[in-house]
Amino acid sequence: MIGVVQALDGARGITDRGFTFIGARGPGEDLTLSFDQLRLDALRRASHLRAMGLAKGDRLALVIPEGEDFIPTFLAALWLGVVPVPLYPPVSLGKLDAFMDALVGILNVAQPKALVTSERVGKVLWSAVGKVTTLDRVIFTSELRADVPLIDPPSHPADDDLAFLQFTSGSTSAPKGVMVTHGNLKANSKAILHDGLQWRPGDVTVSWLPLYHDMGLIGMVLCPIVVHMPAVYIPTISFIKNATLWMETMHKHRGTLTFAPNFAYALVTRRARLEQIARWDLSSMRLFGCGAEPIHPDTIRAFLAAFAPAGLRPTALLPSYGMAEATLAMSFIRLGEQFKTDRIDQERYHADRKAAPSANGVATMEVVCCGRAFPGHELSIQDEDGRLLPDRSVGEICFRGPSVTAGYWNNPEATEAAGLGRPGGWLRTGDLGYLVEGEVYVSGRLKDILIVNGRNYYPQRIEWAVEELPGVRRGSTVVFSRPGKASEEVVVAVETRDRNPDKLRAAIVAKISEDLQLAVADVALVPPGSIPKTSSGKLQRRKTRELYLRGTLGREGARPAGAMGNRLLAAKHLAYSLVGRARHEARGLMRKLTGA
Amino acid sequence: MAQTIDVVEMFKQAALEVDNRKLPKLTRDTVIATLGMDSVAVMELVSYFEEKLAVRIPDDDLGRIRTIGDLRDTIARLLPPGTQVAA
Repeated sequence: MIGVVQALDGARGITDRGFTFIGARGPGEDLTLSFDQLRLDALRRASHLRAMGLAKGDRLALVIPEGEDFIPTFLAALWLGVVPVPLYPPVSLGKLDAFMDALVGILNVAQPKALVTSERVGKVLWSAVGKVTTLDRVIFTSELRADVPLIDPPSHPADDDLAFLQFTSGSTSAPKGVMVTHGNLKANSKAILHDGLQWRPGDVTVSWLPLYHDMGLIGMVLCPIVVHMPAVYIPTISFIKNATLWMETMHKHRGTLTFAPNFAYALVTRRARLEQIARWDLSSMRLFGCGAEPIHPDTIRAFLAAFAPAGLRPTALLPSYGMAEATLAMSFIRLGEQFKTDRIDQERYHADRKAAPSANGVATMEVVCCGRAFPGHELSIQDEDGRLLPDRSVGEICFRGPSVTAGYWNNPEATEAAGLGRPGGWLRTGDLGYLVEGEVYVSGRLKDILIVNGRNYYPQRIEWAVEELPGVRRGSTVVFSRPGKASEEVVVAVETRDRNPDKLRAAIVAKISEDLQLAVADVALVPPGSIPKTSSGKLQRRKTRELYLRGTLGREGARPAGAMGNRLLAAKHLAYSLVGRARHEARGLMRKLTGA
Repeated sequence: MAQTIDVVEMFKQAALEVDNRKLPKLTRDTVIATLGMDSVAVMELVSYFEEKLAVRIPDDDLGRIRTIGDLRDTIARLLPPGTQVAA
């Protein structure tokens, strides 16, 4: 498999296919760049960047919402050996302050020499630019489009060369930039295109995914470039405003491949009208990939049922598992297989960390199968000490192979903690799951992170926001997620003696909505002392979450299922929990007695 | 005789249709970001107004809209001259 730069350079003369950008010339008017044009555009931009003094290894921040500008600029940087740092542009209502804070945080870690943006976005970026000392200049996309004497095509990068920095999406106080090498891209694009999708001539990718995000950038832009596969891009904001544009585009452009997080499947199922579905022909679509956030089986079933009349095949839905630290993809289900789930005994899962197929009548957890590791790669389940666990034992999902990235930029501690930076080492994903005959089932998470609508959020930031409210003490708040139908849902647990709980609840919902644009599904106000803490007094998010999900957190922790339902649910879970604890203690006693 | 466009009432209806949310106490001073909606729901809401009123709110303006009143003023600017928009 060739690399991205090699494939781009080799695109000279390919004028019959390329990338199409929906609405790029105005409403209803698309722009198509052939691969030949794209190559020339990238070379032109590379010529500008070099003339501006950018050299191999320099970081170049990109805040460019328009795909037709983002893609050639990104490729130009790759070609020069300049390291692009794609960042998300501001998009939503009245959220500029929070956006600027997150942007400055990332820029101060990445230390870019320059930042490329459009005039439109540039207007609001200046306040951030002043706070980043390494930044020499701001470059506007219009400057890069201007005519310029072209440089000779730069030489192709080595596999060990750093290609770009992928900052994990979402906001955090200490952003981490994943270092993706050209070798990583080669290995992962081969895995995706050949082993996963079994790419074939005639394939057409359709994507609305943001281009600064690993799935949108690597899966939907760089992979198509490697094999010169035509692709059609819908601006993310257009999709969010009108999700059916996704289906409309597949229908119109005879798409064959697409990828999206679970929430998008829920959204488009909700939005599509019957007369639209009757009009669409989706029979050309070979694969609908689903990844980047937990996959909800009901969402998938509803999607398949809703779009069956448009010719959607049930085998087209492709659950996948991946993360930025593994470049992008770690596993897909096998082509042509129908998506499948495993029904396991919920109590044994929580109490014994075993994924036991559930017998009739017990509480069941349904987990989606994400397939097996790609050839040349390996998945394993490990305990805290790095011991390999057998099938159907729940532990941390670990992954190794040539797609495992080089670590986090300027962050040796985090690199070491994730198991990165050691050739052949196991990446510790921070996800919980189990294997059955080599196939991975992702069932939970060790790391403290919330994934809402495909985007990662760090709980600390949300907790800090809550703790700014009057009447909330520092260190009294825990934020975590619970499974929801479309995406994960945000739950806030606060220890309080507040006498006006409804007012406090409303204030928390408003504060999180205002600061982070997140909807809060439930606020659990519990008496002081209810939230589990470590011996050093730190709040334990995972334990709190477990208590919450079992309905045993404080008095109000159960899911809102009506007052009576709540009590029944809580009683049931309390019973389960007592049984589990007794089992656990019995095992401990046995170990003591036998000296094991 | 064209009827008057009431953005506050339309917003209530949109929140109900898009996000299944009742907002009886909405006023023009309500800050949209405090309503407890996520960013996807907010964008769907924008699209509701665009479809019903056949306008297109420029992306640049979205970042500046904080309150229902801001939304009302932005929409009033985009509508054909002479359209009645409730204050």
